[in-house]
Amino acid sequence: MASPRLLFICGMLALAGAAHAQSKTPGGIPPPPGMSLAESAAMRFPQPVRVGDLIGREVLRPVESQDVLGRVRRVVRDANGQIMVVVDFGGFLGFDSRPIAVPVDAMVLVGQDMEIVAFTPKQLRQFPTFSPVGTADVADDAIIKVGLAKPSH
Amino acid sequence: MRSPFRPDRPPNAAVLDDHKPLIRSLERRGLIRGGLSLGALVMLTGCDVRRPEAVEFALLAISRFNDGVQALLFDPNKLAPTYPASMILRPPKFNAYYDVMDVKPVNGATWRLEVSGLVTDKRAWTLSDLQALPQTSMVIKHICVEGWSYIGGWTGVPLRLFLERVGADLQAKYVAFKTADDYPSSIDMASALHPQTLLALKYGADTLADPFGYPMRLRTAVKLGYKNPKWITAIEVTNKYPGGYWEALGFPWFAGI
Repeated sequence: MASPRLLFICGMLALAGAAHAQSKTPGGIPPPPGMSLAESAAMRFPQPVRVGDLIGREVLRPVESQDVLGRVRRVVRDANGQIMVVVDFGGFLGFDSRPIAVPVDAMVLVGQDMEIVAFTPKQLRQFPTFSPVGTADVADDAIIKVGLAKPSH
Repeated sequence: MRSPFRPDRPPNAAVLDDHKPLIRSLERRGLIRGGLSLGALVMLTGCDVRRPEAVEFALLAISRFNDGVQALLFDPNKLAPTYPASMILRPPKFNAYYDVMDVKPVNGATWRLEVSGLVTDKRAWTLSDLQALPQTSMVIKHICVEGWSYIGGWTGVPLRLFLERVGADLQAKYVAFKTADDYPSSIDMASALHPQTLLALKYGADTLADPFGYPMRLRTAVKLGYKNPKWITAIEVTNKYPGGYWEALGFPWFAGI
């Protein structure tokens, strides 16, 4: 019986370093009821980020499965001067997605990814398809501030 | 064919049910869970599998043995990979045992670093004291036990240099840290003296931002992410095992990479 026992222990030695998820409080919770997007974004320690570095990033849902909602296509300033992140939203494997404009204050940076924390996928599906009319692209070299969240897993 | 290892009398299957919560707690590593069959659990004996604490004790003993092997394998002169500055992720990735909204910024002007234990100079340090020491920069990968990583650029005081300045006993076993966010941590002396272990004051060329540990945090290229405490307020050199936040919850202490 010695050898299978030894094998098992060797297996456990290799794996004992693997561990349970670190989360104690979840990351990327939605804004508290009644709080504006700007106020809630201010609580998430907004950090400077280069706009060009955001383009192409995956946009995730802030839940443990981290479903991919889309990718950042561009960053624009809308007619009210508000910064919006245009996300190629939905579809399957990149097909049949459509651009929607999400206020930057509804989003957070999670390392190399972004998350939409203020809207559910159901709400996002109601967003109109983005039209560039009346908006201006924010230059790649511009620095904007975006809030943070810890990973949602 | 009948397995030659099959016992004459099979163990009671209820044993597996008894350990369901423990097995479920390994959910992020399906391989382990898959491996923890009834047979494997029984083979873990020596201990009595009817007592969950006995199984946990056995697993922790394996983890401690693992730490010892890692410490033996550790080469104090081998450098971790470094990367060009163009690959630095700005801003870095935030993580803690709580979300960013619970970060409590530290006032750098009134901040003091306490030094205690096996050192000759126990004077507290200010931020400008640390800034006046020689600084080193490194672009290294931060690797989290959760499976993610990113490349970051850090500047600060090599921990070796700091320990030499305070007259630390470099033969001591442990360097322990206390932090403003109540996240105690500790590393072995060999890793503390490694050239890629810094008391980091800057990220890229900029002062550390609040969520990343301002005014001072540990960054080491030779440990997993959770061994890099932020907002450090005290350093102790000791021979008494200091443990740490996640270590107390069952994570491996050595956590080398």
